[in-house]
Amino acid sequence: MKTRGILRFALSEFRLNLRDPAMTFWAIVFPALVIGVMGAVLSQPMPEEEFGGLSFAGYMLPGAISLVIMASAFIGAPITLTTYRQTGVLRRLRVTPMGTLSLVLGFSMSQLVTMIVGMIVLFITAALVLDVGVAGSWAGLIGVIFLGMVTMLSLGGAIGSVARSPGSSMAISWIFYLPMMYLSDMWVPIAVLPGWLQTVAKALPLTPLNTLLRDIFFGRPLVDPWRIAVLAGWAAVGILITRRFFRWE
Amino acid sequence: MNHVIKCFGVTKRYGELVAVDEVSLDVEQGEIFGLVGPNGAGKTTLIEMLEGLRVPDSGSIDVLGLVPSRSPSKLQERIGVQLQTTSVQPKLKVREAVSLFASFYEHRSPNLDQLLEMLSVRDKANTQFRKLSGGQKQRIAIALALVNDPAILFFDEISTGLDPQARRAMWDLIRSIQSQGRTTFMTTHYMEEAEALCDRVAVIDHGRIIALDTPRDLIRRFASESRISFRIENGEPAVAALEALSGVTCVDASNERFSLHTKDDSATIQELVRLADANDFRLHEIQTATPTLDDVFLLLTGRELRE
Repeated sequence: MKTRGILRFALSEFRLNLRDPAMTFWAIVFPALVIGVMGAVLSQPMPEEEFGGLSFAGYMLPGAISLVIMASAFIGAPITLTTYRQTGVLRRLRVTPMGTLSLVLGFSMSQLVTMIVGMIVLFITAALVLDVGVAGSWAGLIGVIFLGMVTMLSLGGAIGSVARSPGSSMAISWIFYLPMMYLSDMWVPIAVLPGWLQTVAKALPLTPLNTLLRDIFFGRPLVDPWRIAVLAGWAAVGILITRRFFRWE
Repeated sequence: MNHVIKCFGVTKRYGELVAVDEVSLDVEQGEIFGLVGPNGAGKTTLIEMLEGLRVPDSGSIDVLGLVPSRSPSKLQERIGVQLQTTSVQPKLKVREAVSLFASFYEHRSPNLDQLLEMLSVRDKANTQFRKLSGGQKQRIAIALALVNDPAILFFDEISTGLDPQARRAMWDLIRSIQSQGRTTFMTTHYMEEAEALCDRVAVIDHGRIIALDTPRDLIRRFASESRISFRIENGEPAVAALEALSGVTCVDASNERFSLHTKDDSATIQELVRLADANDFRLHEIQTATPTLDDVFLLLTGRELRE
């Protein structure tokens, strides 16, 4: 294992993410902006009774957290991967002693760090304009966010491996992401969907992430542990597809 | 002789196509070894097998005592590679790229700034890769190939797309790499480059090595004829008299211009001057052309266009 090389590669790719205006905007600035605007519009800190008297943060933050994860892991990472393949960066990296596993680890770490920075900016913004009321456990929140990042990153890797060009990678990402925005408990509560659509929605990778996050914000008990299994299952699917279809050139 | 690369009977097939066919060759330590051939002859497939990127179907390869396909990481530690159509991350700055790639190796070149200095890109250290010229990008490719202080360098068409000045600068660079005691294995499709730079040249076509020798011996063996051409203003010498000159094998006459093909250019010239004196005609616009590796290449691989 090439610890030094992995860390330097991760740091370098993270820095390149910050040099990419699109990545910086969608993964770090935009989610915080959404929460900032929401916080400014909603003048009172606690919702009316019709919202159940629960915190706004519990309604808003799961969606914003998903925005960070999806922008970096599900859309950004596969674009970077396909661009690197198309321009020969992957070929160049391959003729070093690093080896596939070290390169994959380094690249994944760079995306995780990007998402963590996005989360920090998001939570600071939320603390300034809303009340970040986490009724459940912070450890649980961090654990679920981390699992969500890993799952979406593995699916991003799968998209980047199957897609032949940055354009087609973007198309594939959006084909999956757009319906998930409406079906996955992100901004629209899953309870308003018809029954059969709820069944479909619950199988999507983004739904358990949002539902788990919301439950933790509201301090609800973990009634459905299978949601964690659905997330982990999608992570496994992503890793298998990546292993099967990854190409250097 | 200490051979740092040994190939024996190396073959690689892609379906029906035999890309590399029973290639055997040895490369000596410290030499610049050139692989030349038409497009699609198998140059890149062969060099990529030596680098451990492709696995031969049969035959054996030994590079620095290692089997490339079996221990690619160990091999990569000790060689430097420049590949065709590769790039580094476009927004990576030159110094960042060099120190990133250096971090991938156990053994690193001690002074990376000195490396940038040697490649005349020190003043570009803080420039992003995408903003460099073609020649600068190729020099960065060499810098990245040198960060681990390698024993062997592999260059695949390194001067393709460079202007004549940048190409000459590249040659000087490769010579200075050789003077550091490193071995260079390079492919090129510029015969002029192979002739100027390489200690030995292998000509590959349809996956087979069809000739392998020093450039001078290749020329001596395959293209021994020089050409002497001139114009005569007063009078018309008999073609038979020209054909009778020592060494001449063939005479072309067209547009008042004569062209002698000769196996012995110095003897032919002496007799030609004597012939002109004796018959009182003057030679104008005399040109002599000695054979080059280009002639050898065209002779061996034919003139029809590939691809």
